[in-house]
Amino acid sequence: MNGELSPRMKVVVYGLMSVLLIPFVFPTWWMVTSSIKPISDIFAFPPEIVPSRLDLSTYAKVFELQPFAQQYWNSAYIAAVVTVGTMLFSSMAGYAFARIRFPFANTLFMIVLLGLLIPSEVTIVPLFRIFLSWGMVNTHWPLILVPIFGAPSVFATFVMRQYFIALPVELEEAARVDGLGRFKIFRTIALPLARPALGAVGIFTFLHSWNLYLEPIVFLSSPEKFTLPQALTQFTDAYGGAMWNIQLAAATMTAIPVLIVFIVAQKQFIEGLAHTGLKG
Amino acid sequence: MAPVKLANVRKSFGAVEIIQGVDVDIVDGEFLVLVGPSGCGKSTLLRMIAGLESISSGEIAIGDRVVNDLEPKFRDIAMVFQNYALYPHMTVERNMGFSLEHRGHSKSEIAERVQWAAQILDLAKLLDRYPRQLSGGQRQRVAMGRAIVRNPQVFLFDEPLSNLDAKLRVVMRAEIKSLHQRLGVTTVYVTHDQVEAMTMADRIVVMNGGKVEQIGTPLELYDRPANRFVAGFIGSPAMNFLPGTITRAGFEAGGVTLPLPGPIAERDGQDAVYGIRPEHLALDGEGLEAEVLLVEPMGSETQVTLRLAGQQMIAVFRERISARPGETIRLRPDVAAAHLFDAASGARLN
Repeated sequence: MNGELSPRMKVVVYGLMSVLLIPFVFPTWWMVTSSIKPISDIFAFPPEIVPSRLDLSTYAKVFELQPFAQQYWNSAYIAAVVTVGTMLFSSMAGYAFARIRFPFANTLFMIVLLGLLIPSEVTIVPLFRIFLSWGMVNTHWPLILVPIFGAPSVFATFVMRQYFIALPVELEEAARVDGLGRFKIFRTIALPLARPALGAVGIFTFLHSWNLYLEPIVFLSSPEKFTLPQALTQFTDAYGGAMWNIQLAAATMTAIPVLIVFIVAQKQFIEGLAHTGLKG
Repeated sequence: MAPVKLANVRKSFGAVEIIQGVDVDIVDGEFLVLVGPSGCGKSTLLRMIAGLESISSGEIAIGDRVVNDLEPKFRDIAMVFQNYALYPHMTVERNMGFSLEHRGHSKSEIAERVQWAAQILDLAKLLDRYPRQLSGGQRQRVAMGRAIVRNPQVFLFDEPLSNLDAKLRVVMRAEIKSLHQRLGVTTVYVTHDQVEAMTMADRIVVMNGGKVEQIGTPLELYDRPANRFVAGFIGSPAMNFLPGTITRAGFEAGGVTLPLPGPIAERDGQDAVYGIRPEHLALDGEGLEAEVLLVEPMGSETQVTLRLAGQQMIAVFRERISARPGETIRLRPDVAAAHLFDAASGARLN
């Protein structure tokens, strides 16, 4: 592209972008506005883009019908532990695969990557049996251990490895001459320089854990242990029908941390993926 | 300060021998330059001294310690890398003091050493900056500062000026040389630039294909190259070579006869290469005929590309000459400064 767009082209481009924005923004808008509408207005035709009647009691009912604060805390602390754990293990594993020469390193890395090819639906039953034998069913341990040592961590390891490979080797050689051993080089040179990649890993790990659905519905059975995606499905009436406005109020509250993470860290996220040669 | 001794040092990567038995004694406080074309093994040899590459056989000693199996941090060396290798997330001050931090020095001692190095290298005003905020020359000085704060026994430089522009390279060359004169630390300096080697070294090691071709002072290498490779590598413009045959009448090449340096009676009939540096060809009305191909006036001298005895050669004249391309001039080689090399082995004959 050379130079500025002409005013007419600007109108066309911005107009086009606005139209393309609709499929992305509309569901969120519909979720937020429907959460404060009386249930009869949600499916009214023609639909109301801006609600004419407000019903904020839905938000209070979310907390009355389920231990929603507890469930919110469950999701938050599990996501935090998984994020920190994944950042720790994936950065160390990624560094080892990128920098330490050991026998069969490439073969081992390929085997680790194969983990990405196996869908979680395939492994969920064997995992259930393992956690059952360990007495960990209906606890949060499976939701913490599976992502930290499973596919999300493999992907994170791959991202970190790609980043560490791109770091100039001379920096580490200079550190060796300066008197540092391998672990100190990792901690004081490589890791601080890998902040963009680590940030990206942190963001997508958090989001993955926050949105985890299959594992909670398999491993958890007590409402007070539920995480948010699982809890959202529980807002039903006596006949099993969805209580749409309450469910959407809960969904809105569930989406808030995700939106905050994206807004605050989107630059870091894009930078991190750009540095590792991955597309967002 | 310490001497460095390399004894029959070898390095192989698989079946390929990169360093083929190098013996060099570097005396205490010497500025030794390793020079050679790309891929000759000079940087590998430097990295072996640093401990960044293992050695396949032989012995490396720094001072009176054999360091073959010692990690770099135990060798008491400091290294300046080609791309400076400054830590991007640390300020200049932290970069310079980083090695001292990890060697248990007190904060006040680190600050004192960093200030001392910053004064020497004119970095005092830049201590709070990050490497990305510095020019190439400033980064180079910080890299040197990082090396000198530790007061190591040996400095190792790996092509430290190759990322700088020509003008800055000349300035930094002088700075490194004067730093060496001031500190007197044994220095091993790698470059592929023979001008850098000539101007900085106490002694030069010319390497080619993993072997040492010659070790000597810059002028020894220039005046008496041990073989054709060294003769062609040292000096700019490079030495002119004329392949031909040694006869009793002189050196016959391309239908002309050149005067021979020294007695050669026993070499009559031997195929050889006659070497003459561009500045050792002088204008002489009774000299050999040469066709002018290109005239390049430099101001202080004039460089003329010409064809003599069927070979393209370069002559450099201090005086200004009026010859034009296509014209014929007459030249006389300075026989006292001529070199003869064996045609097959390239070894010096005179």
